[in-house]
Order: sequence, then structure tokens, then C-alpha cells
Amino acid sequence: MTFLGLAGGFVLGILSALGDVYGTKLMKVIIAGYVEFFRGSPLIVQLLFFYFSIPALTGLNWDAFTAGAVTLMLNSGAYQKGYFKGAIEAVFKDQLMAAKSLGMTFRQTLRHVVLPQALRIVIPPWTNEYISLGLSTSALIVLGIRELTNISKSIAAQTFRPLEVYLFASAIYFIWITVSMKVFDWIYERVRIPGLEVNI
Amino acid sequence: MFTLENFLFLLQGVPNTLAISFLSFALGFALGIPTAIVKQFSPYGLGHVADAYISVMRGIPVLVIMLLFHFGMAGIIPVFKSAFLSATFALGLRSGAFQSQIFRGAINSVGRQQMMAATSLGMNRWQAFRYVILPQAFIVALPGLGSEIALLIKDSSYAFVLGVLELTKYSDIVRKATRSFLYPYLIAAILYILITFPVANYLDRLGSRLKTKYGLR
Repeated sequence: MTFLGLAGGFVLGILSALGDVYGTKLMKVIIAGYVEFFRGSPLIVQLLFFYFSIPALTGLNWDAFTAGAVTLMLNSGAYQKGYFKGAIEAVFKDQLMAAKSLGMTFRQTLRHVVLPQALRIVIPPWTNEYISLGLSTSALIVLGIRELTNISKSIAAQTFRPLEVYLFASAIYFIWITVSMKVFDWIYERVRIPGLEVNI
Repeated sequence: MFTLENFLFLLQGVPNTLAISFLSFALGFALGIPTAIVKQFSPYGLGHVADAYISVMRGIPVLVIMLLFHFGMAGIIPVFKSAFLSATFALGLRSGAFQSQIFRGAINSVGRQQMMAATSLGMNRWQAFRYVILPQAFIVALPGLGSEIALLIKDSSYAFVLGVLELTKYSDIVRKATRSFLYPYLIAAILYILITFPVANYLDRLGSRLKTKYGLR
């Protein structure tokens, strides 16, 4: 679930960040509305809304898993947009002009100048989004999806040992998050271009 | 059908949502400042304790902490028999870790030179911290605290899983009672946005106003 949400959010985040930085006025307004809705309201409410309200509205019938995945993608996209926007803006305007003066098209500039730098800059804040999304998958419990929190809840109910079960679940989350943080730090160090640190 | 009465019924969830958020913010504030100071100056090697506290709170979903408190520890600590208090304490503990990070960033942004300047004027380290660094750090921290409150208001919806009667729970009740599938959650989402936006925005602007007023960067 985390990975689905992250991947979908990654695409949405980059697209809406590009739209926000380089797009037309109308695009900016639409993107601002999208971001405000998903960042301003709780994930649980969004999950319930997408699972119960969207089928009622459109006649579209989907199961809890699909609804959950779509919501996580949209939610994560709204957050990732902010990080990508910061990273894209950290690549200075001079470079855009320099690329233009070398005869590169806008698309080429994005592909070869802006994104290689922005994607490196974005790794640390993006790691935070990964962590927070990973932890908020526990919200999927409200749709009854069998993720770690939900499974621990039913084991706790069966065994009457809630303390041990929840401590164990906490340990699993903690190890998972700590290990993946280390992995992202390692990637960041690996792809870092020495001398090109930008502070956002 | 979703009527005005349903809407007014839904509004009854707002006080509890606000109560959970602001109580846990206060608890997080009370925990956050000492944690930031301990992590910054690490007296008696206590810095590691602060580190452990922060990384544990960063690594576990707040919902699991709530469940742990309410179902796992109610027998040991009577306070956690109340779902409301379990949710508030879980959010407050996590917020303490988050707020300590905000304060530490703010303390560091004030800079070492001021500490040296203050000590050279004859203040001891604690006085310098208390009267020179902290007041400035607090202003720098305001926008961060604003987004922390917004986060708490949104995450207070996790209390729904414990059955606390807050906004999300009320919207769920309305959905079940009226079989109106669209409006309850949509209106709850809009209410959340209406609550979080002014708070975060106000602290953000207060922060930049005070920064200009006192000439902080």
C-alpha cells in the first residue's frame, strides 16, 4: 500500500509541481484547490469519503483496497507536490536562461537540467513523506483493509494480550521505518553531486 | 437526505476535535521545549534519551500508540480507560517529539554568536539561553508550530478508531443514519479545512510579522 501510494503520488506530485511552477493561471488554481483539499483534511475522512461517497456519486463500484490505494495516491501527491516545487525552484532561474541560450527546448531543459538536480535535492524531504505515508497506512483500518494495525487489532482481540501485540506491532513499524531511513540516506549520499548542496 | 439538522448534529463533533487537538498541543509544548533543551545541551548525557524518544515517536503510527494506550495499558494506567484521554496523550507524546524538533531548529537558527555575546556580557549560559536565545527561537518557531497544530487537528481523527465522539465519528454516524453517502464526509472534510487553515495561517503571519518587528532573519 505504501509503495502504491508513493508511486502514484510521485507521478502526481511531479506533474502538479511542474504545472504550478511553469503552468497557466487556471492550472495553478486547480492545483491549489487539489492540494488544499488533501492537505487540509484528515486522511481518515478522505478514505471514508472515497470509499463511501464516490461510488454513491458516480455509480462506480470499487473495493476497499482500490479506494484506499487511490486515496493514498491523491493524498501523497498533494504533499509531494510541495516538496518537488521547492526542489524545482531551488534550481536557479539563471540555469533555465543558460539552457535556453544553448538552444535547448523547454522539454530538454526539464529533462537534462532541472529534473536531475531537483530529484537529488528532493530526497531528504521525500524521505519524510515516505515515513509519514508509511505510518498513515494504519488509517486504512477504517476501511477494514488487512494491514499491520488491523491484523494486530484482531490478534489482540483473539488472544486477550493487547499490550504485547501492540508493542510488537510498534516494534515492526519502528524497525521498518528506521531501516528505510538508513537506505534513503545511503541513496542520497550515493547520488550526491559534491559541491552542489542547495538548502531549501 | 442530508438536512440542516444533520449538519447541526455534525457540528457537535467539533468541540471534541478541538479539545483533543489543543490539549495534545499543550502537552506536546510542555514536553517539546525540555526535550529540545536536553537534546541541544545534553546534560548528564541525557541527549541519547531525547534521541530515543524522538526516533521512537517518529517510527510508530500514532494510531498504534493510541491502541496500545487504550487497549494495552488501561489495566496498568487507569487514565487510559478513557478513549478520549488515550488519544490525547498519544497525540501529545508524539507532538512533543515533533515540537522538540521545531524548537531545536529554531534555537540553532538564532546562532552561536549571540550565545557568546551574551556570555561575554557576564550572563551565565542558562541566563543567555533564557533571556536571549529562547525569546528569539520562539518567534522563529511560530510557523512550524502552526503546521503542528494543523497536523494535530487532522490526526485527532484517528481517535475515531477508539470510538471518541469527534467530528469524523459524527460524520460516520450521520452517514449511517441518513444513508446519505456524499455529504457527511465531504462536509466534515470542509470543516477540517476551515478549522486548520486559519490557525496555521495566523501563526505563520504572526511569525513573519514578529520577525520583521524584531529584525530577525
